[in-house]
Amino acid sequence: MKATNLPEILAPAGSLEKLKVAVLYGANAVYAGGQKFGLRTAADNFTLDELREGVAFAHARNSQVYVVLNSFLHDKDLAELPDFVRFLEEIKADAVIVSDLGVVRTVRAHSAIPVHVSTQASTLNVEAAKFWKSMGATRIVLGREVSIADAGKIKREAGIEIEMFIHGSMCMAYSGNCVISNFTQGRDSNRGGCAHSCRFEYSLEDLNTKEKKSAFFMSSKDLQGLRLLKDFIDAGIDSLKIEGRMKSHLYAGTMSKVYSEALRFYEEHGDFLSDDLIRWEKELSKVSHRAYTEASLSAPAGADSIFNEREDHNKNEWKMVGTVINANPESGTVIEVRNAFNQGDELEVIPFRGEPIIVRATEIMDLNRKPLSRTKPTTIVRLPFIPGIGASQLVRQKSV
Amino acid sequence: MNLTGFANNQHDLSLLKDSGITEVIVGMREFSRFGRLEHDSFMKISTDARALGMRVIFEWDILMTEENFDVCAYKIHSYMEHFDVLRVQDPGAFHWAVHRSEKPIHFIAESGNHNLEGLRGWCEAGGKKLERIVLSIELSRDTLKEYCAKLPIPCELLGLGRILLFYSPRSLLLPLDPEKIGVNEEIEALGESEESPHKGFPVLENRHGTFMFHIKEFCLIEYAADLASIGLSWLRIDQRFNAKNFIPEAVKVVNREAMFENFKAEYPQELMRGFYHVNKSDVLFPKLKNFRLQRQGDFIGEVLEAEKASHLAILVKNAKGLKVGDKFQIMHPKGEIFEGEVHSLRNVNLEEVSIVPQGELALIPFINGVWVKSQLFFKQDN
Repeated sequence: MKATNLPEILAPAGSLEKLKVAVLYGANAVYAGGQKFGLRTAADNFTLDELREGVAFAHARNSQVYVVLNSFLHDKDLAELPDFVRFLEEIKADAVIVSDLGVVRTVRAHSAIPVHVSTQASTLNVEAAKFWKSMGATRIVLGREVSIADAGKIKREAGIEIEMFIHGSMCMAYSGNCVISNFTQGRDSNRGGCAHSCRFEYSLEDLNTKEKKSAFFMSSKDLQGLRLLKDFIDAGIDSLKIEGRMKSHLYAGTMSKVYSEALRFYEEHGDFLSDDLIRWEKELSKVSHRAYTEASLSAPAGADSIFNEREDHNKNEWKMVGTVINANPESGTVIEVRNAFNQGDELEVIPFRGEPIIVRATEIMDLNRKPLSRTKPTTIVRLPFIPGIGASQLVRQKSV
Repeated sequence: MNLTGFANNQHDLSLLKDSGITEVIVGMREFSRFGRLEHDSFMKISTDARALGMRVIFEWDILMTEENFDVCAYKIHSYMEHFDVLRVQDPGAFHWAVHRSEKPIHFIAESGNHNLEGLRGWCEAGGKKLERIVLSIELSRDTLKEYCAKLPIPCELLGLGRILLFYSPRSLLLPLDPEKIGVNEEIEALGESEESPHKGFPVLENRHGTFMFHIKEFCLIEYAADLASIGLSWLRIDQRFNAKNFIPEAVKVVNREAMFENFKAEYPQELMRGFYHVNKSDVLFPKLKNFRLQRQGDFIGEVLEAEKASHLAILVKNAKGLKVGDKFQIMHPKGEIFEGEVHSLRNVNLEEVSIVPQGELALIPFINGVWVKSQLFFKQDN
């Protein structure tokens, strides 16, 4: 049975390279930020030329590009917005993602570009969705506290496109309702300066009992909603968003590939009854992440949604080794190396579709075809050519 | 300057009235983040306040998912006759209040409203029902002055009270002590982190979730006259978290009947002005990344390998490709600029070529000092 009306997979694009990775690995849409107006100030983000190129690249592959304007903008920021919005319209960006009413009104006044209301606005109920619709929004990115069932109701009753997060890091606070960084570090968390104070360990003294405990009590596990895909589809959710513009190429590629593959399987079969579900979950676990939770997608997030551990970015079992630059019989498989590997190591090249290709690095050469026993980061090496491997594919390796 | 405040009991109400305050904000547990009133206590305070000639402001400031929203929207009808103004923060509650209620509205625009255009939008959406707008404590004096002058309705600001830093719907303290489930309606703790210079953040968990506050309280009462002069209409004194209610003392400072220094010395918490004088919470942003790694100009590509005495390997990203004779500039990640011309060019197969097209690897002779991640641009006169 062929299924129709499937949600789009919306992937993060922290840079032009990550946009291309996400699109090539199957994302139906990506969200990206310019140099201003977004919440990820420390991300590479896009120059105007890169945005133009990114939109053209995505459109050529039937993907869409949404541009984030999701800071809570102050007046001086807002003054610069009309020119940028007109530029986005000129390059045919597909929508903008905004958080506050001033930005909605400014965008509406200067362009006809569709407006998506960001999760930063913490839209949680039908009436709030109706409000934003009346302001000219075309889509709502719901707060992560909303269940899939409620999201379906909001879509039906408010009559507006609905986007929900399906994967990634989560604010423990209602999005847009945390100003810890603002008042403790002088960095506006809602304009891109979040210091992630919620990930700190805190010593907590109970004011009644005077007992003290230490805990990462404000740190949330990461969202993972793979097994709820059917529920999202049944509820009519329009877009499934993957968090993570600050995350790696490997993350952008893996997430885009897994979720789009799962939806393609559903499109073909009308269900998710497949051993592939286990494989998809394994793939998701190969990317650096905190423990996973389904958070509030089915029922309000409970105690088991608290991560309560120190962050350990080296804990991941798999690392990204590099990206294939070129692959043909003449040049061999040319890889830009990000993390070193040794002669004899087993690598996995991730094709845009299908299972990983296992490659044993029996023979490594540098660009000048000099043999190597070990690679170095930020170099380019050649491995023998293997059919099926192509440019822009990601290479990973199980950490020892 | 008009003043407003909260009452959780008859004592609070009396202090407000005796201090000359003519309205009271009341919070019921089901509707208000920090409300403590149940049905009976709300009814009594409402009745008493009205008997004292005070306006009753009903606080419905929680953020709500659909189920909770439906419950609140249903239950509030039974209280409609017992208050005069509805005070909301969730955009859904705002929309509901505008379209489903006859009551005047106070809209709390404290989170995420830092531009005049947005505030005007709320005023237009609220229409004649919107009686007051509550502004963010992150606004500086100059900004407040502009907004108070340009907004069509009276503005309110926190004058004294806790600074809410974090609002989560999740239960975050109880999981640390599960045996306390069902024991208390609220759990309070003080939090401190080795990674923060600040110690003693008050943390509160109640039925609406978990809240963390700043270690200091926000205080602008010493600037009350100044705030009045720039057009602010209302100051809010929030004493819901202090064992002793300092409303009378605060009102005396506002009315210049007492010295602020004496008030500050007596007040149980440290006080701060926040961003009143200036808000520079974005000045650090340019330091968060290296702008020299960004494309500027006619970008050719990025150096992926710099092999001493051999080559620079560049992934060509420009549609024109890279060809012999092209003049270029290289921007080093540290900002140094190198200039050169392509005299010889090899492709990924190490063949001498005259052009390397977009998407392919180009090798040019090594240039001393150029590192990986350097960016190549066509020189302007190319």
